Amino acid sequence: MTSNKTADKPGWGARGDHKILHHDTPRASAPDKVSGAALYSHDRRVPGMLYGRLVCVPVACARIEVDLAPALALEGVLAGVVLRDEETRFMGQAVAAVAAETPELADDGARAVALEFEELPWAVTPEQALLPDAPKVRRRGNRGRVRKIGDAKATEDALAAADFIMTADYSVPVQHHVCLEPHGVLCDWRGGDTATIYASTQVAFGVPGSAADLLGLDEQSVRCIVHHMGGGFGSKFSLDTPGRAACLLSRECKRPVLLMNDRTQEFQTGGNRSGSIQRVRAAANRDGRLMALRIEIDKIGGVGGGAGGPKPFHYRPSASYFEEGSVHTHTDSSRAMRAPGHPQVAFVTESVMDELAYGVGADLLEFRKQNIHSEVWSRQLDRVADEIGWSSHPHRRTPGRGDGWTAEGIGFAISAWGGGGHGGGQATVRITRSGTVTCSIGVQDLGTGIRTLVAMIPAEEFGLQADAVEARIGDTNLPPGVGSGGSVTTGSIAPPVKVASWKARRAFAEHLAPLLDCPVERVMFAAGRVFDGDAPKRGLTWHEACGTLTNEGLQETGDWRGDLQGSGVHGAQAARVRVDLMTGRVQVLKMVCCQDSGLVLNPLTWRSQVKGAMIQGLGQALLEERVLDADLGIGLNAQLQDYKIPGCLEIPELVALIDEEDTREFPIGVGEPPVIPGPGAIAGAVHNACGARVRHLPMTPDKVLDALALLED
Amino acid sequence: MSEKKLPPASDREMPDRDIGLSKAIGSGASGLSRRAFLKGAGGVAAGGVLAGEAAARLSAAGEGSKATPVVEGETKIEFTLNGTVQQVQVEPRTTLLGLLRSHLPEPLTGAKEVCDRGTCGACTVILDGEVIYACATLALTVAGREVLTVEGLAGEGKLTAVQRAMVAEDGSMCGFCTPGFVMSLSACLERNPGADENEVRRACTGNLCRCGTYDHIFRAAEVAGTELSLEPR
Repeated sequence: MTSNKTADKPGWGARGDHKILHHDTPRASAPDKVSGAALYSHDRRVPGMLYGRLVCVPVACARIEVDLAPALALEGVLAGVVLRDEETRFMGQAVAAVAAETPELADDGARAVALEFEELPWAVTPEQALLPDAPKVRRRGNRGRVRKIGDAKATEDALAAADFIMTADYSVPVQHHVCLEPHGVLCDWRGGDTATIYASTQVAFGVPGSAADLLGLDEQSVRCIVHHMGGGFGSKFSLDTPGRAACLLSRECKRPVLLMNDRTQEFQTGGNRSGSIQRVRAAANRDGRLMALRIEIDKIGGVGGGAGGPKPFHYRPSASYFEEGSVHTHTDSSRAMRAPGHPQVAFVTESVMDELAYGVGADLLEFRKQNIHSEVWSRQLDRVADEIGWSSHPHRRTPGRGDGWTAEGIGFAISAWGGGGHGGGQATVRITRSGTVTCSIGVQDLGTGIRTLVAMIPAEEFGLQADAVEARIGDTNLPPGVGSGGSVTTGSIAPPVKVASWKARRAFAEHLAPLLDCPVERVMFAAGRVFDGDAPKRGLTWHEACGTLTNEGLQETGDWRGDLQGSGVHGAQAARVRVDLMTGRVQVLKMVCCQDSGLVLNPLTWRSQVKGAMIQGLGQALLEERVLDADLGIGLNAQLQDYKIPGCLEIPELVALIDEEDTREFPIGVGEPPVIPGPGAIAGAVHNACGARVRHLPMTPDKVLDALALLED
Repeated sequence: MSEKKLPPASDREMPDRDIGLSKAIGSGASGLSRRAFLKGAGGVAAGGVLAGEAAARLSAAGEGSKATPVVEGETKIEFTLNGTVQQVQVEPRTTLLGLLRSHLPEPLTGAKEVCDRGTCGACTVILDGEVIYACATLALTVAGREVLTVEGLAGEGKLTAVQRAMVAEDGSMCGFCTPGFVMSLSACLERNPGADENEVRRACTGNLCRCGTYDHIFRAAEVAGTELSLEPR
């Protein structure tokens, strides 16, 4: 029951009082998604629309000449643009685009573009890039500036003095986002003063400005619509090459152009998580103390810089020292990908924690708790350990060996993230005389469930069911939303929605108080009714109450408030695996996550997101890797049949636990943190099962067999 | 209850006509082995595959020889789409997915184009009762046949048991893979409403989800299966 009694400012209220929030609520978009009615940018069809296609270079580096004439000579090919006309810097870079009446004709046109190229020297792998005579990827060379963090001398001293020291090299390959909806837009411009861009983007409000520049229009005349979008994971923060090409083609022929990457283009130019090579020296003492951690990190971000993570990664050595720099290669720039930089350092640090724990004969779980200095992480580790069956596991201080055929093991890892929001978003809640409620904010929903929260929050305020409120999102004609990156969406959008809802309820209560013949403080909204709190039988149904409004209805707008959200989340995960000792195949049997994120507004979509992140972590651990042919300078698995992502047969039992001991009464974003621990926990479980320490992701059967073979030597 | 039923199993066993890439792993429903598929896919097996104008326009690559028959140019075909007869002109190279998404007067975009290589299952539709990849099926080959897409599952705006369970159990996140999973689940549970999780997983091995909704999809299958088992068949 929501009352007006303490309504001097909006607040989320006590956890037990919620009727809608903090309760499982089906995704607002789900009925449209399960019936094919949800229209993504890729699905938009407008009158006169042409299909665009990019033309990409098939080699890493080239001097190019592009001639569109053969393509434009084809019947049905109506426009062509050159996007790049001198040199290309990475494999798959787009150099031209064409637009045609049908997708097939667009393919014909793209094939017909005469692309002459002279291949230039290239370096696609870090090894090639670091050769003395390597071609320069960047003007200053292929090694970026090295950042030095920590105390080198103290770390050397600590290494020398410790009881147990380990030295090892680790690597994490380049991973792809693999958004199922590729990058791209429908640019709907027909030569007039306005345009609409249907974009698959994580930042709807970032699109009109860039599109307007290309179309020669005023930014305010360009509208961006993102009613549904098929995944971003950090890779969709700009108009991007396909979007740019669509706008240029549209300008060329004054017709709407839909241009989406094909799957190979998506792999080669749609973004990736940077790889990482890490050379580690670390030490611990027999009393279980982590004494020293020294890591040299090469980030592999292609022509870009690559992402780093926290250093040290949460565990606290007595001394630590890091040298981190980029090695540039002639491959597409890495982009932000779900918790940029974190999984790379997490995998290595958790692996080192395991190796040190075994080295000093410590329990894997206790060793972590001893060196984490955090009650929150300790309780979360205990929780996942209970759930995964650690206390009855036979191999807690030394790895198992298995029964000759298979072996089972358990591993642990942790994560942290911010997840706070920021200002800029604005929401409008509107109640009509006929009883409909809409809540509008232009933010896009990447599949996280923000649309559902935009309906749930007003529903809670008015004592209605969530599906009684229509959430209007994904449109720059609505009040502004924020970009979705860094897990900021919930913390940025929930507050303005809450404020608008609260203001609307207060205004509605003031309007209804005389009608209910009670003071405004006593006007209550619950269970689809509005009533006097002291005489609950005296009241109106929601629709009767709305019927007392004027034709204008009631509308309130809310801005962001910092006190309605927060930042700082922690999580722990455990994995149980079975290793086939004959084939080296790893099967994850179970993964458990315990995650805090303040007040969980919708536990159903929260669990989906946390489990989804665990599955992506599993993919990074066991399956995913961009494979390049170093001799030819080309990618070998830029297709979904070759780049493996987790499928139905790889999915373990998944348990996503809300850390209910976190009593913060405000929401915090959770999109990113649960993707971080997976590889570390799974690698630890493999080691724990059979003694095989696989230091290079993904842990494919060949690498597991190699690591097992080392044990026999 | 006006849920549209899939055709009964007896009408679906037409292995000689199936040149789509069958995903019914282990179901035995298609009766088509991988080897038979590969043999059949090398050339259009004319028997019963093409009908009407498409068949008439078949021309042998080498006159008088038994070489692979070839269809050239745009060809008119007729097929049944979600219960309605459609007549369309298609190029031989156009896939069923391309036809649905881009060449119909009112395009159906529920089936998604993701890999376009018969890998991810986002384009899954049901052809004469069999789940197939629309991206790996030539449009010409559906002449005279029945295609059911995700848009055709729900009758009169009412969701099916599978769709309702997918909503309730949160079987979608971004939702781009969802129509494909819904089709695979619908066919699986139509075949066997009592399918256990292993059978459900096998039925969906040809579908990929990047957001990671699998776990919730398996639960949705269980919920829908239970409901369908209780319904009189």
